[in-house]
Amino acid sequence: MILKPVPMPVGGIITMTMRELMRLLAWLSPSFPTGAYAYSHGLEWAVECGDILDEATLGGWLTDVLMHGSGRNDAILLRHAHRRADLVQLNDFAIAISASRERWAETLDQGTAFIVAAAAWSPPELPDRVAHPVAVGALAAQHGIDEDATTAAYLQAFVTNLISAAVRLVPLGQSTGLRVLAALEQVILAVAKETRTATLDDIGGCAFRADIAAMHHETQYTRLFRS
Amino acid sequence: MEVRECEGRTTLDGLRQAGCLKARFPRSDDAGWLAVVTMNTSGGVAGGDDLDSVFVVRPAARATIASQAAERFYRALPDGGPSRVRNRIIVAAGGVVEWLPQEAILFDSCNIRRSLQVELAEDAWFLGVESLVFGRAAMGEVVNRGSLSDVIELRRGGRLLLHDAVRLDGEVAATLRRRAVADGAGALATIIYVAPDSEERLEPLRRLGIGASVRDGMLIARMLRVTGAALRTTVVDALQVLRGRRRLPRVWLC
Repeated sequence: MILKPVPMPVGGIITMTMRELMRLLAWLSPSFPTGAYAYSHGLEWAVECGDILDEATLGGWLTDVLMHGSGRNDAILLRHAHRRADLVQLNDFAIAISASRERWAETLDQGTAFIVAAAAWSPPELPDRVAHPVAVGALAAQHGIDEDATTAAYLQAFVTNLISAAVRLVPLGQSTGLRVLAALEQVILAVAKETRTATLDDIGGCAFRADIAAMHHETQYTRLFRS
Repeated sequence: MEVRECEGRTTLDGLRQAGCLKARFPRSDDAGWLAVVTMNTSGGVAGGDDLDSVFVVRPAARATIASQAAERFYRALPDGGPSRVRNRIIVAAGGVVEWLPQEAILFDSCNIRRSLQVELAEDAWFLGVESLVFGRAAMGEVVNRGSLSDVIELRRGGRLLLHDAVRLDGEVAATLRRRAVADGAGALATIIYVAPDSEERLEPLRRLGIGASVRDGMLIARMLRVTGAALRTTVVDALQVLRGRRRLPRVWLC
């Protein structure tokens, strides 16, 4: 059974079967056991030092992380994994772009847990410790799930998790968090579109203060999150 | 350039220079080390320029490579190519390299593709710093637009350990004002330190308020400051933590 095409204002129109949609929803759901809830991507430090304190500063920070930081890089990695690049080499590259210990643990712990949890869907052969976007891209490709849809869904899951962290840390109301999520839709679509033609040489960015926050987080005295 | 160890000293083993890139060898303050000072006699890097350096350090040799002056990256013409700078450093077993160039000063509308490729033997040591100054604040300079790709790639024992890529495209000043980017800071430095004591150097570096982390036996530190002058002070403090009491290359002090 084929769903009616979902309009994708920036990325275009995708077609997927009901079964593919269900799988994407399952794998990128907050309840899929990757342990995502334990990672804040340095947000906990940014909240602690007042960089994130309300709706506008949260939305701005996440926009930067999506456009100039890990969001965009993960999208490029996921797309390359989806195209069945040499996954061992791609995974080494994905690990090498981590600028700090907690970032490194964040992507490897989640990616490795993701593949363990995906056992019921017979995931492809992957390195023992695998970066999160590589794991998601490889599994989606194995099941023929659209690359654009997987990219957008991955980025959406990524920011949803960080918004949920910020809602608890700042704290912010649930409805505030959801307004930020709605506002970021266009950013996610823009990043998904821009990374379509990107090569691994396009990896990189300038979310310097987000990187530094992740480094400082390692020293944070009272903390709820592992990154 | 090739250097080798000979009876506890490090000596030049081969040098070929062409075009505007030159190397000089001032007397080193440290016994056993070779001091190398690179210079660009053209006075700066323009669009279309292509600068290539390769440094080979033979087993147990030790070299400190510094640049004579800050490098300037000038405005590139819209239809001209980017400025390309490639530095490659190969360090054999037991070798040590310190890569301590001074700042790269970026001008408005620059177009830069720069890479630092480091290939370390399993037990080689490396300390490197790359500093970028987005316009000299004291001169009222701002990099409104530009394109920058600045990549540090480091391999140890053949395995890729780090791929750190700074990319800024288009509205540079506006992007740097963003809070998770630079919050208005105009100068950035990245320090990489690969040595057996990287873990022990982390806390002293953090006591300076510097963001730093260690993974896989490699220390990475990033610092942002409002101006190039403030950044230099921070980088000098950080290098003191990582280099102990050894004096900085004299070109850093004048």
